[in-house]
Amino acid sequence: MNSFASRFIASSAENEIRQAKAMAEEEGLTDAMWGSDAGFGSLVTGHAFNVPAVPDPSAFLRLHTDDHADPNCKIKIQHGTTTLAFRYKGGVIVAVDSRATAGSYIASGTVKKVIEINPYLLGTMAGGAADCQYWETYLGIQCRLHELRNKERISVSAASKYLSNLVYSYKGMGLSMGTMICGWDKTGPAVFYVDSDGTRLKGDLFSVGSGSTFAYGVLDQGYSWDMSDEEAQELGRRSIYAAGHRDAFSGNTINLYHVQEDGWKFIGNYDVTKMHYEGPGPDVPGAPVGGYGYDVRTHGRFSVLPTAVPA
Amino acid sequence: MPNMSAIVHPQQRHFNPYAENGGTILAIAGADFTVIAGDTRQSEGYSIQTRYAPKVFRLTDRAVLAVNGFAADGNMFVKKVKQRLEWYKHAHAKDMPLRAIARLIQTMLYAQRFFPYYVYNILGGIEEDGSGAVYSFDPVGSYEREACRAAGAAQSLVQPFLDNQIYFKNQTAAPGRSHPSHLPLPDVLSIVVDSFTSATERHIEVGDGLEIYIVLAKGRSLQGVEGLHGLRELSTQEDGERVFVLQRDLKKD
Amino acid sequence: MSAGFDFSNHSRNTFLSEKGLKVPKATSTGTTIVGCLFKDGIVLGADTRATEGPIVADKNCEKIHFISDSIRCCGAGTAADTEFITALISSNIELHALSTGRKPRVVTAMTMLKQRLFQYQGHIGAALVLGGVDPSGAHLFTIHPHGSTDKLPYVTMGSGSLAAMAVFESSWKPDLSREDALKLVTAAVSAGIFNDLGSGSNVDACVITATETEMLRGYVKPNERTQKERTYGFRRGTTAWTAEKIRNLVVSEEITPIGGEEMDTS
Repeated sequence: MNSFASRFIASSAENEIRQAKAMAEEEGLTDAMWGSDAGFGSLVTGHAFNVPAVPDPSAFLRLHTDDHADPNCKIKIQHGTTTLAFRYKGGVIVAVDSRATAGSYIASGTVKKVIEINPYLLGTMAGGAADCQYWETYLGIQCRLHELRNKERISVSAASKYLSNLVYSYKGMGLSMGTMICGWDKTGPAVFYVDSDGTRLKGDLFSVGSGSTFAYGVLDQGYSWDMSDEEAQELGRRSIYAAGHRDAFSGNTINLYHVQEDGWKFIGNYDVTKMHYEGPGPDVPGAPVGGYGYDVRTHGRFSVLPTAVPA
Repeated sequence: MPNMSAIVHPQQRHFNPYAENGGTILAIAGADFTVIAGDTRQSEGYSIQTRYAPKVFRLTDRAVLAVNGFAADGNMFVKKVKQRLEWYKHAHAKDMPLRAIARLIQTMLYAQRFFPYYVYNILGGIEEDGSGAVYSFDPVGSYEREACRAAGAAQSLVQPFLDNQIYFKNQTAAPGRSHPSHLPLPDVLSIVVDSFTSATERHIEVGDGLEIYIVLAKGRSLQGVEGLHGLRELSTQEDGERVFVLQRDLKKD
Repeated sequence: MSAGFDFSNHSRNTFLSEKGLKVPKATSTGTTIVGCLFKDGIVLGADTRATEGPIVADKNCEKIHFISDSIRCCGAGTAADTEFITALISSNIELHALSTGRKPRVVTAMTMLKQRLFQYQGHIGAALVLGGVDPSGAHLFTIHPHGSTDKLPYVTMGSGSLAAMAVFESSWKPDLSREDALKLVTAAVSAGIFNDLGSGSNVDACVITATETEMLRGYVKPNERTQKERTYGFRRGTTAWTAEKIRNLVVSEEITPIGGEEMDTS
């Protein structure tokens, strides 16, 4: 590129270094890759993603990764999810399922769909698992840098807007994310919905994913601002259970988080099947005895068998 | 007036740089060891390209990487991971910890988000706290720590078996007893061998040879498997974590 | 209702694939089938693997089908098609033999098969190796799904045909002994079993001479499964249950005989 100019540089050693650096940068290798910066170092120095040399790179990506359009495509990006988050007087409840599907195959039943960005911020995962994991980790780095530069924590609004602007700059390239950025800042509890189309919404209650309709059904009828913490947690758990029960692409287990003024807290992991038959346990207010689904459907309905003949 | 929209520049309509080379990999974490295994057949369509193409690689004395999918991408990826680990060693005078390797693999895969490596990675080894660990990745870098994972052609045959035998899925424990959270090494090795002999029976792309890597935590002996035929040590140090490889034949039809 | 095959599902499948949906898939056999001439007759050979995509559906299926006492036919392609087309022609050959009062000839079976396959324009996915001995001598044919045929001294078909043909091309010669022919056929099928992923398991062979037909099912078994490392048994009570009810199904009655004499049953 500037090889003509570099020929006239006095020092040949300097010239050699320059050439080596130019070569390294062309291959995406930078000084930052050597040390502790790991892969993220290259992003700080203005890293560019490698893109196939075809006229339409995003069409290429779609051709090889979009299993909705072509179930036989080779690279299967995991889909299918139910996630929810809502704001109430006691903070924010975040609840998600843990299933990842590739077509009709359950690729994993132990996915962590809540991404712990930092002790005060949570992000949820729907759509491309890698997109959410990677960019929300990256967001965590930027939030920390904000703290160091400004001597105060980033607001949920600013953090979510950072992410929104970032994914918007990749619009049309094939990113797939539907996430809720949840936290507590100066304004109190906050939830923002951000997706890869560039949408960013502030709100009290969101649910995202293939099972969201089922979750909304339970969530909307049970929601009120003035709930107790236990009631709010139970509502989040019960809503994901409903989605796990009715949506084939959601299920396995529920992960429940609660965000309060002092940051987020992991409440627990609950097996959906166990919730169906046994429920969350005896000391949960409002939870039915004998499970969310089993006893209510079968109690006193064993008429298939005739009355036993006494021996 | 000619229809200008009909005049188009020549365009490459078909660019398919990917192939599927069959085979299966799996990893199981124990309390203080990890087992990572893969068959050695490499195929395309109905043809065997080679009966011995390793899919499992020792990265450090405490990390082993198994790579499955498109062999060309896989080999290049392993080469680049090894290069980055070498650089790390020169910069820090120690081997990269397992969880850091996992994150490194994520960023390396994600750097190819718009031109992915068609590879499924499973990383196994020993964590800094001495526990056995398995990390599994999708082609663009999403990852998760697990206790066991199968990937590749026979994933859908092997994973349900592992779910049943390792996680005891669909098995209720005897009254007053509970399932063990970790199995001993000899049991895990038997389950691995049976997984592969069974996958060879029913999947045409699995067979020829089996390479089982065993990573032991610092100070843990080879107890129970020391006498096994074909066991070879690969560790570079005596007093740290130790890596062994066990080779077995699989059916060749 | 007209006779013959019903093609209504074919237009359904075309419609389905146009919509980009999955078409029902028949079990196709990636296969190695071979046949060769020797001094006293014909040796046919086949592997025993049946596949559904990359999955082995049957580890020991029979691919050498009966046509008549001294005519046999190996089938590759769609399993159901090879099975039924050979059964149908076998039946027609028997009727033909009965009506003419002569021993059936290999060409007759070959002509019946090719005419039937041609009629269906390749939709019957059968690729066949037909061999046998009749009053005019030993004959060996290949029949392709569209109805074309070949008459050759040594033939192979199926996904392993190239591997098997390589063996024939290097070693076959006229007037082989029975033992050498069997050895050659075994080597040819084995080449398919080990080098073609669509073929596997055992070698079936069939030796047909003017005097007798010998079906050697499982002639060589180079791929027996080794002993599993563990035994997988499950404790009684492993499966979870939601309710338990025990009922007594034995109904006991007490019979009190009334009257003095027993009924005369003689």
